[in-house]
Amino acid sequence: MAEDLNWAVGGEAGDGIDSTGKIFAQALARAGRHVFTSKDFASRIRGGYTAYKIRTSVEEVQSVVDRLDILVALTQRTIDENLDELHEGSAIIYDGERSWEAEIPDEMTAVDVPLKSLAEDAGGAIMRNIVALGAACKITGFDVEYLDEALEKRFGGKGSQIVENNKEAARLGQEYVEENYDLDHLGYNVETTDNDYVLLNGNEAVGMGAIAAGCRFYSGYPITPATSIMEYLTGRIEDYGGHVVQAEDELSAINMALGAARSGARAMTATSGAGIDLMTETFGLVATSETPLVIADVQRSGPSTGMPTKQEQGDLNMALYGGHGEVPRFVITPTSITECFWKTVEAFNLAEKYQTPVFLVSDLAMSVTEQTFPPEAFDMSEVEIDRGKLVDEDEVDEWLDEQGHFRAHAVTDDGVSPRAIPGTIDGAHMSTGLEHDELGRRTEDQDERVQQVDKRYRKVETAQEEEDWDYREFGDEDADNLILSWGSNEGALVEALDYLEEDGIDVRVISVPYIFPRPDLSDEIEAADDVIVVECNATGQFADLIEHDALTRVKRINKYTGVRFKADELAEQITEQLSAEVPAQ
Amino acid sequence: MSSDVRFTDFKSDKQPTWCPGCGDFGTMNGMMKALAETGNDPDNTFVVAGIGCSGKIGTYMHSYALHGVHGRALPVATGVKMARPDIEVMAAGGDGDGYSIGAGHFVHAVRRNVDMSYVVMDNRIYGLTKGQASPTSRSDFETSTTPEGPKQPPVNPLALALASGASFIAQSFASDALRHQEIIQEAIEHDGFGFVNVFSPCVTFNDVDTYDYFRDNLVDLQDEGHDPNDYEAAKEVILDSDKEYQGVMYQDENSVPYHEKHGVTEDMSEIPEGAPEDAMDLVREFY
Repeated sequence: MAEDLNWAVGGEAGDGIDSTGKIFAQALARAGRHVFTSKDFASRIRGGYTAYKIRTSVEEVQSVVDRLDILVALTQRTIDENLDELHEGSAIIYDGERSWEAEIPDEMTAVDVPLKSLAEDAGGAIMRNIVALGAACKITGFDVEYLDEALEKRFGGKGSQIVENNKEAARLGQEYVEENYDLDHLGYNVETTDNDYVLLNGNEAVGMGAIAAGCRFYSGYPITPATSIMEYLTGRIEDYGGHVVQAEDELSAINMALGAARSGARAMTATSGAGIDLMTETFGLVATSETPLVIADVQRSGPSTGMPTKQEQGDLNMALYGGHGEVPRFVITPTSITECFWKTVEAFNLAEKYQTPVFLVSDLAMSVTEQTFPPEAFDMSEVEIDRGKLVDEDEVDEWLDEQGHFRAHAVTDDGVSPRAIPGTIDGAHMSTGLEHDELGRRTEDQDERVQQVDKRYRKVETAQEEEDWDYREFGDEDADNLILSWGSNEGALVEALDYLEEDGIDVRVISVPYIFPRPDLSDEIEAADDVIVVECNATGQFADLIEHDALTRVKRINKYTGVRFKADELAEQITEQLSAEVPAQ
Repeated sequence: MSSDVRFTDFKSDKQPTWCPGCGDFGTMNGMMKALAETGNDPDNTFVVAGIGCSGKIGTYMHSYALHGVHGRALPVATGVKMARPDIEVMAAGGDGDGYSIGAGHFVHAVRRNVDMSYVVMDNRIYGLTKGQASPTSRSDFETSTTPEGPKQPPVNPLALALASGASFIAQSFASDALRHQEIIQEAIEHDGFGFVNVFSPCVTFNDVDTYDYFRDNLVDLQDEGHDPNDYEAAKEVILDSDKEYQGVMYQDENSVPYHEKHGVTEDMSEIPEGAPEDAMDLVREFY
C-alpha cells in the first residue's frame, strides 16, 4: 500500500476552504505526487461545516480512506467531525488567538499558529489559510517552493503584489512552526518526483471531452452538481466556435440542445436531480425524431430535492426507463475521471452514429473529486470523430422517394436512416414526436408504426453487435468471488483489493461503464461462487439488472448515506458479505 | 432549389386536417408567401412548431421542420438559430402552446432577441382538445371546463412581450391575407425576435371571436398613422383593451439580434479536421 499523507482543511462555508484545498492539491501535483481530493459541503453559501480533503502519495491513489494526518481546523466542528479519522500521529493546525479554544484530544499534536495575525503581517487577514498551508508544509517536510508555484498560478492574474504577499504568508506560517515546534517525531516527509501531472475533476473532464468531441452548443440550467460542466464550457467553448446558453429551465435547456443538434451541431445538456425529471418530457422526442443528443446526468441524493450536495447513484432507472412510451437510448456510466473524458467523446459518436439520445450518467463524488493523471491520459490525438450517416448534397439523391421527398426516417437494415441537416439541398423534411412515416409525416398506419418502432430499436441491436460494450477488470481473474460495480465506485474497489489481499481474500472486480447496452456477464457470474454488486443507492438498481440478466440472486452492498465508498470500508463490507447468505430466490 | 422560389414550394402534399374555414389556413398561407417573398427557400428554412392545431403546420409546409412537444417550440427554434445563424428560422404555435405551457419560454425568447420570427395562431380557445378555455379566452367565455367562464382575465400577449423587452411586436388577422402576409414579412425581416400574434378564428369551438367579430372590430394601425418606433404610442395601443388592432405595434430601431451582440456567428454544424488535437491546450490548463 502506498505511503499516503491525508490532509484536510475545514471550517465554515465562506472561509475559503475550497480554494485553500485546491491550492495545496495543485502544489502537491506540481511536486509530482498523486492527489485524490474529496469535498464535504452543505447546501448553503455561508456558514455550515465544509471541508476539503486531500489524499496524496507517490503512488496512484483513487479513493478516500478513513485517516487524517494533518488537519487545518478553522472551527471546533472541524475537529469534532473528523475525530474518527484522526489518530495518535495526527497534527491539528489551529489559531489559538481566535475566539475559540480548541478542544484537541491529548494524544494528538496541537499546532497552535496565530494564522490571522501572521496573515495580517503578510498583508491581510484573508491569507490566514495560506499561513496554515505554510505551516502544513513545515510539518510534512514538503518543499514550500511548490506551494509558491501554485500560488503564482492561482493569483498570477491578480498582480505580482498579491502573489508576493501570499508567498510571504506561507513563509511566515512555515517559520512559525519551525521556531516554535519540534515535530520530527511525527515522521512525515513528503517525497517529490519529477512526474508531470494534471489535476482535474470529473465535470471538467466531461466538459473537456465535449469540446474535444466537437460539441459546439451547450444549454443548461444551474443545478448542483452539474453546473460546473456549464461553468467549464463557458469561456472555453467559444474558442472552438461554440456557445453556451443558460436556459430559463431544464425543459428549455434540453429543447435548445435538441434544436442545435437537429441543425447539425454536436450538442449537449447536463443536469441532475429534479432537472432530469423535467427533461424527461423531451427524451421521447429526441428518440422519435432521431436526433443525436448527449444528456449528462450528474447524480446526487434524491428523491425530490433530497441532499443536493451529497453522493448517490440513484438515477439509473431514470436513465434507463425515464419517459413515457418506449424510448431507445444508450446509457453510459463513466467509472473514473479519465473515463468521464473518454466516454463523453464516445457519447457524441454514438449519438450521431445511431441518431438517438445518449445518457452520460456520472455522479457527485466523481464530479467534485480532483485527481492527478499523466497528461497522456487525455491524449487528444486519440480522439476519433464519427458523424454517422450525415449525408451531403451529392448523397441526398439516393434517399429521395419517387416524388423527390427526402426519406429522413428511411427504414434500413441497420435501423439507421440518412441524416440531412438544414441547408442540404433537397434534404428538407419534417421530424416529429408523433409517429411518422419514412418522410417524417404523421401516420397512424399500423404497418408504418411497427416499421418505425422496429427500426428505432434495430439501431440499438446494430449498436449492440457493432460496438465494443466492454468492461474494466481488476483483481484476480480466477477468484471465486466476483464484485460488480458501476460509476465512481471503481477507484475504492481497486484499492479495497489491497486490504482484502492482506486478509488473504481473492476477488475479481468488474466495473461496468455501459448499462444499456451492457456487456454480457453471464459467464463470469456463473463461474463465481459469490457475486456482490456494489452501488451508492438503497435498492440496488444495477443489482436488479444483473439478477434479471443472469437469472440468479446476487448479494448487494448499498450505501446511501450521501457519502461515497471508502476503500477500507468497502473491504470490510465485502468480507462481511462473503460470509453472508445469498438472498432467497 | 432554384433562386426563383414560389410560395407553393413551401407547401407539402399533405392535405390539412384543419376544420374547413379554420383561420390556420390563412395564417399558413401568409407564412409561406412571406417566406418566399423574403427570398428564402425550403432548404434553408427551419420551421418549429409545438402541439395543438397550430402545431400541425410543419406537416402542411415543406421545409426543414420539427414538430416538438407542447409549449417548447421557442427553445428548439432558439437552438436551431444559435447553431446555424445562416438558416431562416420561424417558430409557430397556438395561444395555449405559447402563452400557457410555453409562457415562461416566451418571456425568455423575447428578451433573448434571437433573430427569428414567432407566429402565434391565437383563436382564444383550445381547439384540438375540443373547446376548453385558453389563456387568451375572455373571462366570461363559457366552455366545457369553465362553465362560468375562466374566472380570470385573459393574458395580453402583446403586453407580456413589451414588458419582456421585445424588439418587434405585431398583430395580424388571418383573413386579411395581404396585410397578414405583409406583417409576417416585416417580422422575418426584423433584426431580432419578430413576434406576431395572429387572430386565427376557430370556427368549431369559438362563436365569440369569429371572422365577423374581427372584421367589425379590427382597427388597422396603418390607417391610424401609428408610428411603431414610438415606444409610448406602442404602449398605448398594446394596453388598450377596448380595441382589436392589427399592424406592427412596436419595433425597436436599434435592435441588435443575439448572435450579432454575442458573436454567435459560426456555422456550428462543421467539425474541422484535426479539431480534437487543437484542443490539447485544454489539458495544459490543468497543469
